[in-house]
Amino acid sequence: MSDALMDMQAPLEKTTHTLMRDDVLRVEHLSINFGGLKAVDDLSFSVKEKEIFGLIGPNGAGKTTVFNCITQFYRPTEGNVFFRAKGSEEPLNLVGQPVHKIIRYGLVRTFQNVEIIKELSLLDNVLIGGHIDFKASVFEQALKLPRARREEKALRQKAEEVLEFLEIGSLKNQLAGGQPYGVLKKVELARTLMAEPKLIILDEPAAGLNDTETEALAETIRQVRDKFNCSVLLVEHDMRLVMNICDRVCAISFGKYLACDIPEKIQGNKLVQEAYLGEDEA
Amino acid sequence: MKQTNSLVKTNEPMWKRIWQNNHLRFMLFGVVIGLLPWLSDAGLMKSSTLSYIGNVLIYAVAALGLNLLLGYSGLISLGTAGFMGLGSYIAAYVAKDMELGFWVATLLAILIPTLIGILIGLVSLRIAGIYLAIATLCVSEILLKTFEQLDTFTGGMQGKTTAYPTLFQNPLTRNGTYLLLVVALILVMMLTHNLVNGQMGRALHAMRGSEVAAQAMGVNLLKYRLIAFSLATAYAALAGALYVFFIKFSYPSVWNLNLSLYILAAVVIGGFRSIYGTVLGAFVVWAIPDLVLKNLPVIGEINGLAYIFNGILIILVVMFAPGGIGGLWPKILRLKDKLLGKNKQDKEPKEAGDAV
Repeated sequence: MSDALMDMQAPLEKTTHTLMRDDVLRVEHLSINFGGLKAVDDLSFSVKEKEIFGLIGPNGAGKTTVFNCITQFYRPTEGNVFFRAKGSEEPLNLVGQPVHKIIRYGLVRTFQNVEIIKELSLLDNVLIGGHIDFKASVFEQALKLPRARREEKALRQKAEEVLEFLEIGSLKNQLAGGQPYGVLKKVELARTLMAEPKLIILDEPAAGLNDTETEALAETIRQVRDKFNCSVLLVEHDMRLVMNICDRVCAISFGKYLACDIPEKIQGNKLVQEAYLGEDEA
Repeated sequence: MKQTNSLVKTNEPMWKRIWQNNHLRFMLFGVVIGLLPWLSDAGLMKSSTLSYIGNVLIYAVAALGLNLLLGYSGLISLGTAGFMGLGSYIAAYVAKDMELGFWVATLLAILIPTLIGILIGLVSLRIAGIYLAIATLCVSEILLKTFEQLDTFTGGMQGKTTAYPTLFQNPLTRNGTYLLLVVALILVMMLTHNLVNGQMGRALHAMRGSEVAAQAMGVNLLKYRLIAFSLATAYAALAGALYVFFIKFSYPSVWNLNLSLYILAAVVIGGFRSIYGTVLGAFVVWAIPDLVLKNLPVIGEINGLAYIFNGILIILVVMFAPGGIGGLWPKILRLKDKLLGKNKQDKEPKEAGDAV
């Protein structure tokens, strides 16, 4: 009983120490074990408001695992994930929150292998991102009562605007199945934008894109940040993209923190170079 | 999916505007199948045919529920028959033994099984896939045994009988009850249409298509599995109540695994996520063997013809038309356009997401 109370108060007490004024997310001493394997080991970093933040590391460094720990798809073995939730000044510890609640706090993610519903149109796929904005109950939807109609109409319009913004508005009624990879990636991004997030987590946004598409993506990510006033946290293998758009970069290897700095300094960092080159030799 | 309304051009003829309104289309469909009793009275159709069609309508309601579960949410249930049976016994008991009338009987026949379904769902829906199928199969078998043993309530092996319902002091005839089935089916089709084309439908789609994406977008998996499961249960229970009012009896042996599998067959043959397809699927499964195949020479003599027919049909559908009958519709439209030389691009994309 008293333990539970302590747990609830702990994040509040630590507020000033855990989340700086302009921080939106702080990962603190994060660790996760799978059996004997330490996939992430005592990792800490923070993302500032309106920042594009890159997380890099060689294959198997645990980048996606970090994402999964932040979004609560995995429960970290140790550590905290503080987040300044939408419409609240108090930082919130995301650890232990149900997965489906995370988006309500303003934290949305994409997936490494696009997770799109093939049987739905692009517009409907994007509308899934508006799921939490529906207040009408199932009964209101079944009977198409005014509130359900109104919400549907408003969100449809919003989804169309987002699709226009990403320049795939003309495809909105096409089925998602059979669309090129680049379009699906945009749909996934559009889906996250529906939630008006404070922080978007992109898992390898440039994977499978060619050079011109990657350049366009860099521009899009910047525009998203500016238009939607959000921060972006991304995992990426394409170093040009990372160096091009990231304000700061955190490098990890085998789940351990290596360095966190502006891109230029990361490129020159000895530890980072070793981690990448070491992998090349092997 | 909802585009149809806004795409209606004012200069289009009246019939086309009616045709493009999904709800009017459902009503039109209702009127068509509602005219069958007159055909039968006029001697243009055998009276027994009407019974078969009535049966189809009843099972179509249950199949629509299963399609919500299987087609939209990707959850497999083998317990449809059990819940249908429960609905039928409750309806019969409340209407005949308690004499509370049709409305109360139907309402209770839907509510009680749904509540039981929710309880079972709370326990079993944390698991999905084949385990859910096993869990629901067990529940269905338990219900079946209960129907056999609980004499006072179900009449045991003798079964339970009831009369055609009385609506507003008006005892219905067989034709009247048939019309009641039509109204119930059309209402269920409309509600289903509204649900699957709204937020709930998309949440179910997301759940089936990608559980991780659904969760990341804020879909509470357990909640939506429960909603889908309780809706399927409610549909099955309603179908059970309609059954007992139309057929006028309910035996334990009706509500066995066989029936659940037949309903599953109707969904597969009719097509996942297709409302009209499901109804057609029910027609194929319950009416074609008795109305058509039995009258054929030689083939009609074979015992267990319906089993063979449905078995072969399922294999054919899975191999050659995985979308079922409903999945064929967009292809037919495209073929029609091609044949009529209408190669305009504007038609095709519009149909892309339209639930047939």
